Amino acid sequence: MIEVDGLTVVYGRGETSVPAVAGLSMEVDTYELVSVVGPSGCGKSTLLFVLAGLLRPTAGRVRVHGEEVRGVRRDVALILQDAGLLPWKTVRQNAELALRLQGRKDSADQVLADLGLAGFEKRYPSELSEGMKRRVGIARALALQPRVMLMDEPTANLDSITREHIQNLILGLWWEMGFTGVLVTHDMEEAVFLGRRIYVLSARPARVAEVIENPGMGEPGYRGTPEFAAQVAHLRQVLGGNGA
Amino acid sequence: MTRTFRQALSYLLAVGVVIGLWWGVSWLLETIREREILPTPGVTFAAAVENIGTLASAFGTSALRFLIALAVAFLLGLPLGLAVGFERRLDQYLSPLIYLLYPMPPVALLLFLYLAFGLGEVVRLVVVVMALFFQVVVAAQGAAKYIVPSHVTAVRSAGATRWQIYRHVVLPATLPSVLTAARVSVGLGITMLYIAETKLGVLLGPGGGLGRFIEYYTFRGDISLAGVVGLALLGLLFYVVLELLERFLCRWKFVGARGGA
Ligand SMILES: Nc1ncnc2c1ncn2[C@@H]1O[C@H](COP(=O)(O)OP(=O)(O)O)[C@@H](O)[C@H]1O
Ligand SMILES: [Mg+2]
Repeated sequence: MIEVDGLTVVYGRGETSVPAVAGLSMEVDTYELVSVVGPSGCGKSTLLFVLAGLLRPTAGRVRVHGEEVRGVRRDVALILQDAGLLPWKTVRQNAELALRLQGRKDSADQVLADLGLAGFEKRYPSELSEGMKRRVGIARALALQPRVMLMDEPTANLDSITREHIQNLILGLWWEMGFTGVLVTHDMEEAVFLGRRIYVLSARPARVAEVIENPGMGEPGYRGTPEFAAQVAHLRQVLGGNGA
Repeated sequence: MTRTFRQALSYLLAVGVVIGLWWGVSWLLETIREREILPTPGVTFAAAVENIGTLASAFGTSALRFLIALAVAFLLGLPLGLAVGFERRLDQYLSPLIYLLYPMPPVALLLFLYLAFGLGEVVRLVVVVMALFFQVVVAAQGAAKYIVPSHVTAVRSAGATRWQIYRHVVLPATLPSVLTAARVSVGLGITMLYIAETKLGVLLGPGGGLGRFIEYYTFRGDISLAGVVGLALLGLLFYVVLELLERFLCRWKFVGARGGA
């Protein structure tokens, strides 16, 4: 369970300060997957960084499983925009990075195999396709077996086939592992496909403009239904009316 | 394997060209001035063979001296440069200081170095270390300034300590450019080594370093020149070693479609 109450984040101080989030409140139930959608630069990554304990709120409160977030938590994993792989580490070293930093000896081989990366363990990121890099980024988070998964635009800048593949993968993992998830995106179809509820953010500084219930979400086949198309159309309208 | 072979071949070719040029210049000077000025490769080689014991000892001493100086420069300069480049506060306060000291040639301070350290081994090492140290510091600082933020976020989000950030991100990210800078600085380092071994090496015998060897045989052009060749080979040796080190430690730079990214 994630509770965000009146979150405000301001970068810098004085005249050059940049307000990125302004009084944002949201709630994610345990085992719920929600999507957060908003225009580029509105403060989505900033919100995730606060949830991950990387950034202190300027004001407001953030709680995970009832505890105030004061730093990085071991039961929370963050998938970075563009995967954030380290070019000097192999696929295996990247996937096991978070484990090793936490002093855990577990292997990530099974997770890599599950994500279709078997045989690539000794390759470097520069030898991989963009879609494979994203999967390694997902593997790094999954290897921690987290209770909360924070995902920052996991399919941005991918071709549409690879994007759908990764989206299906995330949906499958959510069913299988049962994590509490927050997925940030600026892609409307992705927001509808992967969000049980959809938080629509305003332009910077981010606050919640609207919350859309999306009960049809949860099946790969949802994408082809008229219901899905209607939700996307609705979301487009909300985002457009929002000046985004 | 073929790449290594081709590289070895190109080095061999370069050696051939250098010897050819050398011989040409020797011949030209002798024709114009009507007396021997630059000993020919053949004469020099003969002088080297004749004095091989002393020459080898001088080469070994110089090589060890340079290796120690290089290691000390790295050990001191790398942590300082990385910290100054990566920690914004340190950058603010220490950068002006570094850039003030960086262009100052240690040669200009020889007198004070001599007074401070005497004419022992330490002072010779200090001169070479000073030159290489600033090269390493400036290279490390420059590279550490441009660390990709998402790489730091990647380890921080897993709860990395400050030390782990350096160990897993800052050091490996900057190592290629630091090693390249070190390779480029070998020339400067060899020059400083020569100065240290001549100006601060008067108490040494001819086997006490290539600089001393060259100076000791000032009036035997052929032997002296053999020492110069030794100095050139020493530079080449360290250049190659640093390149191999980079290929080994930064393997990731040499794979993938665009040779790493
Ligand atoms: N470290 C920072 N210092 C100052 N401004 C920042 C910093 N990080 C992000 N910003 C600004 O905050 C705003 C929100 O950024 P971000 O959360 O990355 O947006 P999004 O992920 O929605 O594209 C942007 O205008 C960005 O320029
Ligand atoms: Mg972002």
